[in-house]
Amino acid sequence: MEFLNLVLILVGAFLVLKKPEQERVAFRMLIVSTLLMVLLFTVATHTGLLPGVNF
Amino acid sequence: MMAPGATDSSVKREPVFTLVALAVLVLTVIPVGTAVFWLGFVRGDSPCVMCWEQRMGMILISLVGLFVLRFGPKPKYVGMAVLIACWGMFMGLRHVGMHAARDVGQGFSLEIMGAHTYTWAFFIYWVCAFAMGLLLLMTRPAHLASGVRTLRRLERFAFVAFMVVVAGNVVQAFASTGPPPFMGQSDPIRFSFNPAHWHWSAEEWKPSKWALRGRWAVDKPDLAQVPTDPAKSPLGALPALTVTARRPLGLALDGAPTDLAYLALPADPAAAQPAVDGTGQFLLTTAAGVYLTDASLSKIRRHTIVDVGYSVDLGRFAGAAFLDNGELIAVGENKSYVVLKPNDKANADSNFQYFLESRDQFDEVSRSRFGTVRARLLYIMSAAYDRASNSVYTLTVPNNVAKRLVVSRFDRRDLTLSEEFVPTLAKDAGLALAKDRSLGEFVVTGAVVADGQLFAVSAAYSAVLVLDLATHRITAAYTIPGLVRPTGIAVKNDSFYIVGDDGTLTVVRRPMPATAAPRDSTLR
Repeated sequence: MEFLNLVLILVGAFLVLKKPEQERVAFRMLIVSTLLMVLLFTVATHTGLLPGVNF
Repeated sequence: MMAPGATDSSVKREPVFTLVALAVLVLTVIPVGTAVFWLGFVRGDSPCVMCWEQRMGMILISLVGLFVLRFGPKPKYVGMAVLIACWGMFMGLRHVGMHAARDVGQGFSLEIMGAHTYTWAFFIYWVCAFAMGLLLLMTRPAHLASGVRTLRRLERFAFVAFMVVVAGNVVQAFASTGPPPFMGQSDPIRFSFNPAHWHWSAEEWKPSKWALRGRWAVDKPDLAQVPTDPAKSPLGALPALTVTARRPLGLALDGAPTDLAYLALPADPAAAQPAVDGTGQFLLTTAAGVYLTDASLSKIRRHTIVDVGYSVDLGRFAGAAFLDNGELIAVGENKSYVVLKPNDKANADSNFQYFLESRDQFDEVSRSRFGTVRARLLYIMSAAYDRASNSVYTLTVPNNVAKRLVVSRFDRRDLTLSEEFVPTLAKDAGLALAKDRSLGEFVVTGAVVADGQLFAVSAAYSAVLVLDLATHRITAAYTIPGLVRPTGIAVKNDSFYIVGDDGTLTVVRRPMPATAAPRDSTLR
């Protein structure tokens, strides 16, 4: 999944650089990548969502 | 040459864009570029799944920077960058939290300048948020004009550097984590360009219980939930001790009793606190109260209410014992403790910070916390002092996460962990655990040391366990008829004195060891 996310980011950066008229598409890809990052981190830590320290 | 729709106003040559380009370069090249090209490709480090997402957040903030260079600092870009930085700081804190309490130098995977990579992640995200605040201060309304900016050389370089670094990450991600649905791993293996060494895993997708605090979500002890039926003990039916008296305490305490200790007239007055009025005395605790009574437990001689919330959080007192040098200790369920010394001339004003009542009765000697290893993440409800080893003992109680009976010994001289063990049954004790049962089911709420043995009273199954401190084995176990939710035990002469949370005092004839006579000078 990290591979997919990095490909999305790479394509997004390419659009910003070479096809700035696709700004909205690039921005949506940025949002999708961000949500994917949040999802993957949450999946990886769902057995203890908060920092594992003494509260 | 300008891109389609591009604008080239002079305001877009403002230093703010130069700083954004430099920020993108720094964030891309130093942490992310170093991680992939140096740590990854050269040193063979593979990020764990959490490191991957922290790295991803940095890349995404850099990408937002590229948006700003191209389209200006639109609020939606700044908003995204702030959100990602906030999430990144949380990820860093979550990751650091897994390792923050380890010993010096310990951690996960590689270090950079003496700190492990996840520690840097938290710091980098903090710097990102700080830098964004500065850049916002430099932003003027004219910068928000819509249109596509023409990139200058430095800004184009930032784009190229970003794409090279991300491309490197694409390669590493494919080798380390694989295509979807595979994702990063908790314990990734060393990076290699050789496909024979690639390990793709979907382990993280496997369903398991969701929780906020995981193994740290430990419930505090609650005696109301403890099973009391002796017939259901893990050790089966146990011999009963003889109850010789049972009565209400009848003392004006500020709450339910939480522990009990007895100090007899010392054989050597120089070695222990001289007994008041030439007789022994009992020590009683409540959640925050400390009481000294006469030898018959009928009259309070002095007391105080400790400010348990001052400085070290003492929680709720659950264990108490007389120490040497005329001092006594009260230990909270959270293994935090306070050492007190009775003093008829205590200065009430200087003791204001320590006590809520009777500030002229005691002095506070020290207040700190017991550190444990095996007993970590387990509460305790007992404390005992062993004069022979000059040590304080505590025993754990089971909780919703773990059921382990762990005995911890703290040397009196520095009150630091000196021994820790999980007791087992003595082979010749004639005791056996029922199938799938364990000693960890006992809820030890009181303990006392006498004649080299530790006697532990359990609120669960109304039992008393006899632990040989030399062999770490349970040598005998008994039940006490009619005992309900005991919270403390003391030895006086040939009897156990046991208090319950309902204020009942039960006196029980103590089983005598075969080789030793009872000692009236017992301390606990």
